[in-house]
Amino acid sequence: MAYRSDVVQVRDVRTHLQRGGRGSPLLVLHPEFTAHTWAPYHDALAARFHVLAPDHPGFGSSQRPAWLESIDDLVFHYVDLLDHLEIARVSIVGTSLGGWIGAAFAVAHPERVERLVLAAPAGIKVDGVARYDYFANPVEDVLVHLFHDPTRAAQILPTEYGAEVLVRGYHELTTLARLSWNPYLYDPTLTRRLARINAPTLIVWGAEDRVLPPPHADAWVARVPHAMLKILPACGHLVPFEQAGAFAALAIEFLGA
Amino acid sequence: MMQFFYFHLMPWPHLPRDFEQAYDSAWVTLPNQLYDPKRGHRLYNEYLDELEHAERLGFDGVCVNEHHQNAYGTMPSPNLMAAALARRTTRAKLAILGNAIGLRDHPLRVAEEIAMLDVLSGGRVISGFVRGIGCEHLSLGINPTHSRERFYEAHDLILRAWTEPGPFTFEGDHFRVRYANIWPRPLQQPHPPVWLPSQGSPETIAFGARHRYPFVSVFTPYANARRLLREYQDEAERQGYRATPQQLGFAVPLYVGRSDAEARRDAKPHLLWLFRRGLKIPPHFLAPPGYLSEDTLRRFLLADIKPPSELSFEELERDGYILVGSAATVRDRLKEIQRELNIGLFVGGGRIGDMSHDKAMRSAELFAREVMPHFRRRPPAARKAVR
Repeated sequence: MAYRSDVVQVRDVRTHLQRGGRGSPLLVLHPEFTAHTWAPYHDALAARFHVLAPDHPGFGSSQRPAWLESIDDLVFHYVDLLDHLEIARVSIVGTSLGGWIGAAFAVAHPERVERLVLAAPAGIKVDGVARYDYFANPVEDVLVHLFHDPTRAAQILPTEYGAEVLVRGYHELTTLARLSWNPYLYDPTLTRRLARINAPTLIVWGAEDRVLPPPHADAWVARVPHAMLKILPACGHLVPFEQAGAFAALAIEFLGA
Repeated sequence: MMQFFYFHLMPWPHLPRDFEQAYDSAWVTLPNQLYDPKRGHRLYNEYLDELEHAERLGFDGVCVNEHHQNAYGTMPSPNLMAAALARRTTRAKLAILGNAIGLRDHPLRVAEEIAMLDVLSGGRVISGFVRGIGCEHLSLGINPTHSRERFYEAHDLILRAWTEPGPFTFEGDHFRVRYANIWPRPLQQPHPPVWLPSQGSPETIAFGARHRYPFVSVFTPYANARRLLREYQDEAERQGYRATPQQLGFAVPLYVGRSDAEARRDAKPHLLWLFRRGLKIPPHFLAPPGYLSEDTLRRFLLADIKPPSELSFEELERDGYILVGSAATVRDRLKEIQRELNIGLFVGGGRIGDMSHDKAMRSAELFAREVMPHFRRRPPAARKAVR
């Protein structure tokens, strides 16, 4: 599927934006490790929607502004992006970090969200359930940990490991640390605010998620008012990468193009 | 003229025999059940004995430092150890190298404790400031992407608290206080000397030179120490002054024996303990995201330096990570170092890794008797060692 890659100026942030497909607008928010990727699930979604897949500030080819410190900053950024693109209402598909941003966006701006698909979103803490620590493990372990079937990790591994690739990875992890070193991968205020989401919401979780184990899914469904849950078997944390076909089919059916 | 400082890490030496295979690191995740408080009691007291003895041997100062949740150095609060030393020493400087001011919940606590120590010790405190190492940001939950700004901000607050009549208001990005007004104030005026012990990022060097804070290169290959101290002097010149030897320091693990062969034989296992065990730190602990600038990381990756934990004893010696030999060898080498680096501060010692108390004492005595006097203006007779 054809897609185009542009740099758009969103206030003071040069933002890399990939776009493809026709139909109603669908904002696809990437997880913490696959910025600047047009993956098979983007293709599948673009068959039915106009997919907008930006790199978050500080990831991929988008600049990291000095003021970026929190998920709220990213919510404001995406309000600005939609305004820039003159899009009033949008559906959102977000994975992990992208799901956290999507949920926080829907909490703050419910009037702008049509439907919400969250694949293993980060952002809340479940007492007694450990979250895998990206920051305290070797990067090789981290990348494999994102999948149930470790051979599936190959699709997101760098093809070479020169200094620039490692510096680039460090740059993105640094952005992630700025957003969520402590509290780690959650925002204590988000849990109680999830009740403000009024868009119909589909939560998708991998049954074998080793980063945010499935009890997180139950906590989301309990708190988001109009949420339904799908658990995918033989699937780890990066749902749209490990089960691209099944995930895209669920999303398309739910979004009802 | 050279000033000599006796340095201690207070390591936890009793690591299991299979440590190198069984554990990823001596930091962060090393189970604290491996620490035995009963043995710790004995060790702490031996370690303090060694530091107190260093004063009697004629060292100008004794050094403590801050590290958290590890076996490399069991001194999470260096100020507590400095307090113990303040009452058992009378002359030596108490050099805290340093307080990890960016890791602390509130820098005013450091300003207060250093002021207390300065008053208690009669103005003998040297106040080193460090950022804290990468591991400690994991151990204490401090965001490493804030490390540098917290360090600078904490520094500014502490210096103002020491020097500015209180109360005053401080409103930073990380630390805020509406009534900064510390009691007691430090005895030394305008404030206790501030040192920067560091492995030397360009930012730290420029900061040190700008404030004229003595810079002490710590546990780095000799060629790197030379480069860092050169950069500091160049930066001083750009600032319009010439750095004095009293601003330039060199810290190195040191061991003196009766001959070169004996020194090597006696020191080798303990120095290897230090580098292979104490400093066993995987990259994701050493440089959590944001702790290093991307330029520093790039330079490091391109330089392709072997981690010190993978070096042999011969390589450690060759690269000048360590200083080991007879008194004559160490003296000659130190003369060269003094000439090349223009240093006036030497930080050496002490009891390395799993070295015994007796070995550490013998080495310190040989160094004090047979090396230090050659760097003094006055004849050595005036500083006779006592046991």
